[in-house]
Parts: sequence; C-alpha cells; structure tokens
Amino acid sequence: MKKLSTKIWGLIVLFLLVTITFMYVLTEYLYEQLYVEDTEASMVEVGEKLRTKYKGGKVTDQFILDVEEFNTYSNFDVFAVRNPRELSACVPFDIDYDALIGPNERKELLQGNSITKIGYEERFERQIISVILPLTDQSRLEGIIYLYYPLAKISELANKEVFLLIGCAIIFSALLGFFVYEGIRHIMRPLKELQEAVEKMSNGNYETRVIVSSKDEIGKLSEAFNEMASSIEREDEAQKNFLATVSHELRTPISYVKGYCEAIQQQFIEGKDKDEAISLIAREANRMERLTNELLELARTSNEQNIELYPIVLSETIRDAICLLEKKSAEKNIEIKTNFDEQIIVEGHEEKLKQIFINTIENAIRYSNNDSTISILTKIMNGNAIIEIIDRGIGIPAKDLPHITERFYRVNKARSRADGGSGLGLSIVDQLVKQHQGNVTIKSVVGEGTTVSITIPLMEE
Amino acid sequence: MKHVQLYIMLLFLFILAGCNEQAFTKINQHQSFVASVNILEPSITFFEGTEEIAKWEFEKAYTGALLIKKDQILLYGHQLDEADLYELSTGKKVQTIKSGIGTTNAYYDEEQERFFFTNSESNTISSFNAHGKKLEELQLGNYPMSMTSHNGKLYVVNYKDTILSVIDLDLFEVEDEWEIEKSSNGMIILPEEEVVWIGGHGEGSKPNQEIDVYNIKTGELQSEINVSLMPIGFSRKETTVFVVNHGSNELFALNLQGKVLWNMEVGANPFVVATYKDYQVVTGYDDHKIYFIKDRQIQKTIETNQGPFQLLVREVVK
Repeated sequence: MKKLSTKIWGLIVLFLLVTITFMYVLTEYLYEQLYVEDTEASMVEVGEKLRTKYKGGKVTDQFILDVEEFNTYSNFDVFAVRNPRELSACVPFDIDYDALIGPNERKELLQGNSITKIGYEERFERQIISVILPLTDQSRLEGIIYLYYPLAKISELANKEVFLLIGCAIIFSALLGFFVYEGIRHIMRPLKELQEAVEKMSNGNYETRVIVSSKDEIGKLSEAFNEMASSIEREDEAQKNFLATVSHELRTPISYVKGYCEAIQQQFIEGKDKDEAISLIAREANRMERLTNELLELARTSNEQNIELYPIVLSETIRDAICLLEKKSAEKNIEIKTNFDEQIIVEGHEEKLKQIFINTIENAIRYSNNDSTISILTKIMNGNAIIEIIDRGIGIPAKDLPHITERFYRVNKARSRADGGSGLGLSIVDQLVKQHQGNVTIKSVVGEGTTVSITIPLMEE
Repeated sequence: MKHVQLYIMLLFLFILAGCNEQAFTKINQHQSFVASVNILEPSITFFEGTEEIAKWEFEKAYTGALLIKKDQILLYGHQLDEADLYELSTGKKVQTIKSGIGTTNAYYDEEQERFFFTNSESNTISSFNAHGKKLEELQLGNYPMSMTSHNGKLYVVNYKDTILSVIDLDLFEVEDEWEIEKSSNGMIILPEEEVVWIGGHGEGSKPNQEIDVYNIKTGELQSEINVSLMPIGFSRKETTVFVVNHGSNELFALNLQGKVLWNMEVGANPFVVATYKDYQVVTGYDDHKIYFIKDRQIQKTIETNQGPFQLLVREVVK
C-alpha cells in the first residue's frame, strides 16, 4: 500500500521526465529542421546562381572548371557532372555500378526540378544533405550540379552538447523531485493529523479536535471534522443524559410502589391509610405506563423517515383533541376558547396531528392555574397554517426556552412529579411537527403565560 | 431465380467473348511502317511515312519486340515468364511461348522456323519451335543480350561479361568465344568488310567512346572507331552505317570503313536508330519523341508513349 503523497510525487516526477524528454526531442527536431532547412536553402541558392553560368548545349570543360574553382571557396562541396553513366542514362539497361543519381531522380531532373536528399550516401561514405540541380537543354539532361554538405558535422556538433544536456536534465530532475517531495509532505501533513484524529475518535475519544491551519480543501475538511466531532460529542452526552433521566424517572415510581407494597405486606399500614397507599401505587403505575408509552412513541417517531400526508381539515382535528381533554380541563375549571379559520386544510397525518394538539393543550392545561382560560386560534400566513395555543399559566423562564423541546427537560426539576408531566411531551410535539415539515416556536413570560405557535404547510392546490 | 442465373450466364459469356475478341488495330499486310516499341508505357506505335497509323497499348510490361515473317510481332519482357506472338493483319494474339523470367532478347531463324531467347537469370540461350515447344538450351556468359546472325552463325554479346559467344545455329553449340569490352551493347555485321562493329556503354562509370571493329573470321580486335559517347544503336542503308550515341545524343553517319561522314545532335537519350524509306529514324528515350531525319535535317518530330526503346521497320515493296 503506497501513500497518497508517494503516488502524487511519482506522478509529478513522471510528468517531469516526460516533459524533459519531449522538450529534448522537440529541440533536437527543431534544431535539425531549422539547420537542415537553412543549409538546404543556401545550397539551392548557390546552385541556382551557378546554374546561370550554363548557357545550354553540351556542358563545357570551362563550366566544370568554373564550378570546381567555386568549390575551393565554398562552404559546401560542389561539383558538376556531365558523364551520362553517372546520370543513369543507361537505365533501362541493367547497370552494375553505383550511379550518382538513380532512374527516378533522373526522371525528376529531366522535368527540370531540383532534388534535395538527406541520408547516407555510399559514394561519400557519410550522411549528407545534398541538392542536385539539372542542366537541361531541350529536354536533354546534359549534366547536373551536385552540392552536398556532410550531416555528420551537424550531429557531431550536437553530440558534444548532448552529455552536458543530459547531465543538466538529470540534476534538474533530481532537484525538482526533492522539492516536490518536500512540498507534498508539507501539504499532506494536516491530512496525516486528521487521520490520527479519526483513529482517536473511533477509539471513543470524542473530545479530539484538529488544528485548522489553512483555508484550502484540507482546512475545510479539518473544520468539518471538528464540527462532526462536536456533534458526536454532544449526541453522546445527550444519550448519556437521556439514559440517566429515563432510569431516574423509572426508579422513583418503582421505589414508591416497592415501599408501599412492602408496607402493606408487613401490615404497617391499615385501614384508610392502606386504601390511600393502594391508590398511590396505582397512580405511580399509571405514570410508569404513560412514561413507557411516550418513550415508545418518541422512539417510533425518530425511526420513521417519511410519513404519508393527506389533506385534513385542521379545525376538526383540533376540536377532536379538545374533546378528549375536556375532562382534564373541567377538573381545573379551565375554559377553552377557540377561534378557527374553518377553511384551513393542511397536508397531514390525522393521528399524529391530533397527538401534536393533545400534547400541547394538555401541557397548557397542566401549567395553567385553576379557573383560567386557554385560547386556541388558527390562521393562514405565508402559505402556512398557524395554530396558536395561548395559556395564562405560570410561564417559562427565558433561559429554559431553548431547551424546552429536549427530552426530559423540565423547567422546575423539583416539581416534576407533582405536575404529572413526563418531560417528553414537547419533544414528541417537536418531532411530529418536523415530520409535517413545520416548526414550533414558544414565547413565554413568567407569571403571565405561554404562547405555543405551530406552523404547518397548507395543502398545495 | 432462373432469370438471375440466365443473366449471370450471359454476363459470363460476354466477359469470355470480350477476352477472346481482344484485338488491336489491324495493320494491312501491304503497308510499310516503322514502329516504336515503348517500354515505360508498354505500347507499340506504328507510323506510315511520318503519320501515326495505329497504337497498340498493352497491360503487360513488355521490354522488347521482334518482327517476324513480316506479319507477326513477338513481344517479350524481362520480368515476364512468357512471350506473346501477335499477328499484325488481324491484330490478334496467335501464340504464347514460355520463355521464362529474365528474357533479354529474342531472335527468329526463318530457315529453321525457330525462336531463340537469351536469358539473364540463367545466362543461357534457349531455342523453341514454331509451336512454342522448348527444344534446347545453351549456357553462355554473364547476361547474354545483343544478338545478330550471319552465315548460319549467331553472335551473342554477354553484356556483363567480356565474352562474345559465336553459336553455330545448325549444331546449336558455342563455336567460338571472342574477348570484348564489358557492357558491350549493339552490333552490326558488315559482310563486305568482313567485320563486326560492336558498341557499348562503357565499364563502370567510365563512358565508352568507341566502336570496336572485330574481324568476323578470327574475332580479333582490328581497330577502334572514335565516335562520341556510348554508341549502342546501329543501322545501315547501302554503304552508310548510322550509329546513335545515347550519352551525347548524337547520330553519326559513317562509311563502311569507319570514316565519319557527318554527325548531328538529335533527341534526348536516343537508344536506337533505324532506316526507313529515305529517313533515318531516331527515338529519344527521355523526351519520348520520334525523329524523322533526311539530308541531315530533322524533318519531323512526333510525340510517342513514354520510353521508346526499339524500332521495328517493315518495308513492303509494291
């Protein structure tokens, strides 16, 4: 298993080598092209100037001499040939010697075209660039001017430099390779730290955080990791608290039940007291039943991802809920005032919607004083249905408001069992409303009362 | 379905008929002509007077031709393994002879009605009867090519050798071998002088500038006639011998003793000269033109197919 940094490094070095090779080949090619082309062009130029001395007819001795004389001053080797044997004049007869030009070249020259060749020439025993110009008269090939320049000189020139070039390329590659390696190691360091942090996290060390030292992708990844770590830590904390609360909530009624049962068994309590004790046991058992039911409800709603929603007349559902709670409100002599917009139809699940209202109204009744009023009104705002449940109860302190929907969160910890709530009601409401793509906001003033606003999207027309 | 079969049958018959009927322009038996054998675009162009009368164009890469019995043309190729005999008066192929790859030249002996082919692959000369059946084979020197006959003897120049082979046609055996120059090509026998003139390209890259004169009886080199560059084509009219020098594009006229009468520049790389009526006809291999010369003047120049390499002359006396 290779490290990512090694892979990237390898890739960069490979690209580097490819680039250097390519540049080398390109330079070589260009050099040769330009040099050869330049040489060729000047050879053609010289050849054509020399050719102007030929006035037609047979190639004279004087012309041959003139060209030879020019040769002594020229950069190139130049000579004129008039021997028809050298000019392949005997083809189509089988020829068993090396003529200076071949039959195809002869054909080309006969048409008045000059020829340039690059390659090994047997006669000169070396690589040459050669230019051949025809001396023609009335479609007779009377002779040629042959110019050549040894290619070897060019490659010899290049050869001297080639070792220096290769040496430089190697040193350059090595240096660049080293710096690239260091650079990648530097860039990759946060990734390594991140990897270590992840390992710590998976070992249960949730307070692990990494230092964010850059704003690049790795920096963002580190930030995201830190956020994730916080969330996990928070969730872990909440899980622990929840377990502690659940066990605490269950332990208290169980100890009541256990204590009274033992007292009755050993006949410490007699007569009227005994009846009271039994009714207490029954009450605590009810509480435990409710608690477990609500826990079940909570567990179910958190597991459900998508529920099926359908059009529901909102006021009907609220009236059903009020109806179910009539007994409780009557006990405290609380009057429930309603003001419904009968037109409101929302997308919802009837049972769950009813549960939302039962929990909220029950809460309102629970924390309202005797002989007070609770107002429930519905209205449309921005394509949503707003349901407001307003009580004149004890209210909630501002510091507790943000936590009010957390499980088992109670404003007055001591009053827990006295007011009969389990601390799960609003948690359930919150979850159910979220399932309906809505939200819950709670405003409250201590001693004056609480307003719970539930927003649920209207049915789409 | 039956219709389809019928059509295919008819088509096949047409193709077959087409193959059989492939004939060239007929050449009247009573017509004189000079014909150029072109090898780059394989063809024969026939001229009467100085007018083109017919052009035979071939698919096969023939490299040489021979006029036989006035009404037949034998065509052979260095890279072909068979030679074809065409009849001029019908324009049709009449016979095929398995001459073998490497054929450099052909000769026809009218008396015995035999064909002779020299071969550069096997360095032999082979004889075939009138029906194309191979009769005998004789080993010669390296690359036998130029041939001419006289008095029942066939003289064969071995092009890449220094030997001329003299063959007795009756016995079909090498009777004598003469020492000659390498790359010799082209010869003419002058019986009244008892000499053979042999031309050539020259050895290696050195061009030959002379005609070698050999004694026909002894095979000894008698003299050398200085001409221009590479004399390889010979022709004779009465007491004048015409020689083309392909290296210098020159036509020389000499008397039988080898004295130069006149010379002139003609054509580009001419390989062959022929006498036809009052003309000397020269072909330019590089400029693919045929020159008709009379009184040392070019009378007419005619463009022909590429690579005119040989001339065939038929003069019918009316």
